[in-house]
Amino acid sequence: MNQQLFPTLFGALVALSLASAASAQAGDSNIVIKAGKVITNAGETIENGTIVIQNGRITAVGQGIEYPWNAEVKEYPGSVAFPGFVEAHSSRGMDRANENIDVAAFLNVKDSIDPVSFYFEDALRAGVTTINVQQGDECVVGGMGYIVKPTGMTVEEMTVRPNSGLAMSATPKRGKSRATQAQSLREVFSGLQRYLEDTVGDKRQGLDHATREALYQGREADEETAKGRSMAGSTWKVDGLELIPRWEIDEKQAPLLKIVEGNQRMFVFCDSAQAVALALEVATDNGFLHRTSLVLEGTSWKAADMIAQRGVPVILSESLMYRERDPVSGEMIETFVPKVFQDKGVRFALRGGSTASKGLWYQAALCVGYGLTRDQALAATTTTSADLIGLGDRIGSLEVGKDGNVVIFSGDPLSVKSFVEFVVIEGELVYDRSNDTRVLHLDTGAQPENTAPHDPNADFKPHGKAEVPDDDGSDTDAGENEEEHEEDEESDADDKHDDDKENEDK
Amino acid sequence: MRPSPSPLAPLGLTCCLSFVALSPALAAADEEAQEDTSSVFVIRAAQVVVRPGEVLENTAILVRDGRIVRIAADLETPDGAVEVQGEVVCAGFIDPWSALGLDGSVLDDRSSDAATRTADGVDLFSNDHLRAEALRAGVTLARLQGGYRAAVGGLGAFVRLDPALDSASEAIVDDSAGLAMSLGLSLPGSMRFSRGSDGSLRMLSGDRAVDVFDRVEAVDRVAAAIETGRQYREREVEYRYELEEWQKAIDEKTLKLEKDFKKAKKSRKKDQDKAEDKGKEFKEKKYKEDKRPRAPKFNAERAELARVAAGETPLVVEVHRASEIRNLLEATKGFTRLRLVIAGASESLSVAAELAERSVPVIVWPSLSGTSRPDELSASDLSLAGNLAAEGVTVLLGSGGRDAAAARDLPLLAALAVGHGLDPELAFKALTSLSAETFDLADRLGSVEIGKDADLLVLDAMPFHPGASVRYVFSGGRLAITPEN
Repeated sequence: MNQQLFPTLFGALVALSLASAASAQAGDSNIVIKAGKVITNAGETIENGTIVIQNGRITAVGQGIEYPWNAEVKEYPGSVAFPGFVEAHSSRGMDRANENIDVAAFLNVKDSIDPVSFYFEDALRAGVTTINVQQGDECVVGGMGYIVKPTGMTVEEMTVRPNSGLAMSATPKRGKSRATQAQSLREVFSGLQRYLEDTVGDKRQGLDHATREALYQGREADEETAKGRSMAGSTWKVDGLELIPRWEIDEKQAPLLKIVEGNQRMFVFCDSAQAVALALEVATDNGFLHRTSLVLEGTSWKAADMIAQRGVPVILSESLMYRERDPVSGEMIETFVPKVFQDKGVRFALRGGSTASKGLWYQAALCVGYGLTRDQALAATTTTSADLIGLGDRIGSLEVGKDGNVVIFSGDPLSVKSFVEFVVIEGELVYDRSNDTRVLHLDTGAQPENTAPHDPNADFKPHGKAEVPDDDGSDTDAGENEEEHEEDEESDADDKHDDDKENEDK
Repeated sequence: MRPSPSPLAPLGLTCCLSFVALSPALAAADEEAQEDTSSVFVIRAAQVVVRPGEVLENTAILVRDGRIVRIAADLETPDGAVEVQGEVVCAGFIDPWSALGLDGSVLDDRSSDAATRTADGVDLFSNDHLRAEALRAGVTLARLQGGYRAAVGGLGAFVRLDPALDSASEAIVDDSAGLAMSLGLSLPGSMRFSRGSDGSLRMLSGDRAVDVFDRVEAVDRVAAAIETGRQYREREVEYRYELEEWQKAIDEKTLKLEKDFKKAKKSRKKDQDKAEDKGKEFKEKKYKEDKRPRAPKFNAERAELARVAAGETPLVVEVHRASEIRNLLEATKGFTRLRLVIAGASESLSVAAELAERSVPVIVWPSLSGTSRPDELSASDLSLAGNLAAEGVTVLLGSGGRDAAAARDLPLLAALAVGHGLDPELAFKALTSLSAETFDLADRLGSVEIGKDADLLVLDAMPFHPGASVRYVFSGGRLAITPEN
């Protein structure tokens, strides 16, 4: 009997070890999420649905579907599974972003992203799973953006996709007027044009010279000279640049040339209708209109007709309600900006506000409150946003083949009463509310591990000199606690500031 | 404007009629585009002021697709055309110096240079009510100028004041309407103290005059800027010539090289063999040719200044003191092609003879409210226009380029200037054809002639008559103002 059993057992063991080896190779185990309700953002909402994520990708979504026997099953019968919000354009999560160098096409925001920024932590808490970080809203050309997930200790770990697109601004930066900003913006591209003309001219000149030299010396011209196109690697797909290998273009000009080539997305920041007119003109003149999204603020919506006519999508800023006084009658006029674009058939995405309380869920809920449909509001914070940053095929909805990004809400994602319970990004559980130290502290007053209790009535103690009741050298921890507190205050201050602004507007 | 027709009227009439008769192409075009009649108008009037001093009686004007296509007494109204009737028809008024529709940041801009375009600072999305008011007053076109506080304010822009126009391509008629500079203007106010005659300290506010020492070089700087432009153009022309010469020489050389190629090949073979025989390394013959001349480095500012120096763009300098006007005239004497226009010109009367001699037009800004700027006190003098004109100076009238709402008052200010001695015909000329001529728009605007843009006013009486109200305004062929709206 032993002899009979042995091979069977052995075979099973081998099979098991092989299976685990295979899953280890792929990097991730399988995970199955069952939720009371699954909002897929792609057709019907599924009651008691199941989502299967294998190796970070969704492999099945539906009701009562089968899943691998070895999958880790997570059941949330009373909760709602949602694809997670997508931030199409964020100016946060950075440490000293570049807003100084006017024309900085060669910069990459990767170098400014701060993985430990409170913003990313808060993004998870608000159900945001993908963020396109951009800098240089106040520059002329601000640099290349970077798409991250709000989890990980290094930018590399956070990476979803590098080089999301170049940021450009049609809004005058400090010290500039509209006219001089426009001048600088046009100069970027006319400068590129002149640079290319010079480069091509010099190249052609060199070839002509080589041809004459060969004639003089009585030998055949070499291949490159004879054929009149580059033999050294790939060339640019721009008319007239057949002679120029890609690497021969200056690194300051190359990112701009990629834009002109149509290989790069462009995000143009506009604060007014005038700026929109300028942005559209520059994009049209330089052939990248079809790759352009406008990031809008202020009176930009007044150019909605122009935007609709060119078919350019837009990303709307925090304040969705525009208030102004009629200059003649003095009457207060309110315009709900997303509605304007919805009515004109312009594709739009929403941006989260500068405070956590005005996150993407809030912006979407506001849209529903002002007459947009739920689907329209959700699209503006998920699928459209994903599309505008070039990830339409990867994120934004719960569909087979997409990234395994699932946010478990306690209720409806747009309800003020719901909160995020769990966040799964690429098949990995990255947030669990029951372990969220800050939330626990707020909810129950629980003291985070290894921290000194915070007494709001205590006198302010300078960093490093805090009196610690207990030992084990928690000096630095006390300092951290203070910092935390500071940050909370800061966001409160922001809140207040916003309220003031709104009051002013009123 | 005298209400009676000038002796030139019959001539004008025959001219126009013969022009119509000689234009069968235009007449044919008339019959063709019948389907779109929303842009076809017939304007009938007792008097049509064709251009200053020329009036046609009982005449009709046919407007189609934004232009005046026929002017005739016996004109029939085509099917579907809109007919408008009135007493007097004349060209729309042009404000050559205005701030209407300028973005605030552009008006106050001090970072501008010669290549800055005011056209980029025109905000077509706001101030529609101010534009509508100006249009209702008969001002159809304004030359906007940003950066009045900057030494070089950049290029001006002619903008249609029709509030219905939202895109720059429709509204902006000309985006390089003169390069603006300023000389010795008062600086924006800051608090300062001065000791009164009784020794007490008084606090003053408001604009202050430029420091004397800062003024010393200002005129030279203007002349130096034009000089850099002139040199830039000279270098450009030189380069083009050198390049042509070089190309010619190289072409000849190439021909010769191609002809001698077989010989060269043979000689190379021989040399190669020789080198091999001797066991030496073969060396190619050294080839030498003249270097291609380098193109001068592009400079956007200088390119614009070059246009100024060559007279392709007029130079508009806002300057008020007599001494500075005189110095400016003196310093720019050498630039024979320069087209200088002087704006503001408070103290220009004492240099009127020089201005007349150099035929430098002056944009005067008659104003009811006056100014507190210490160096520009008489800028708003109501009699300045009349006095200058009497001395033979070409006078334009503008609304001052500071206050957006002032453009509306331009016809009123012109009437006041007439009241203070300016010949009414000259005043009318200043508001229409003269502005157009000064800024190279005379082929499109400033008069009622076939082929010109239909920027037309229909009034109750002759312009500047106290009872003259504007009933209809056409802006680029669009009926923008009617008594009903």
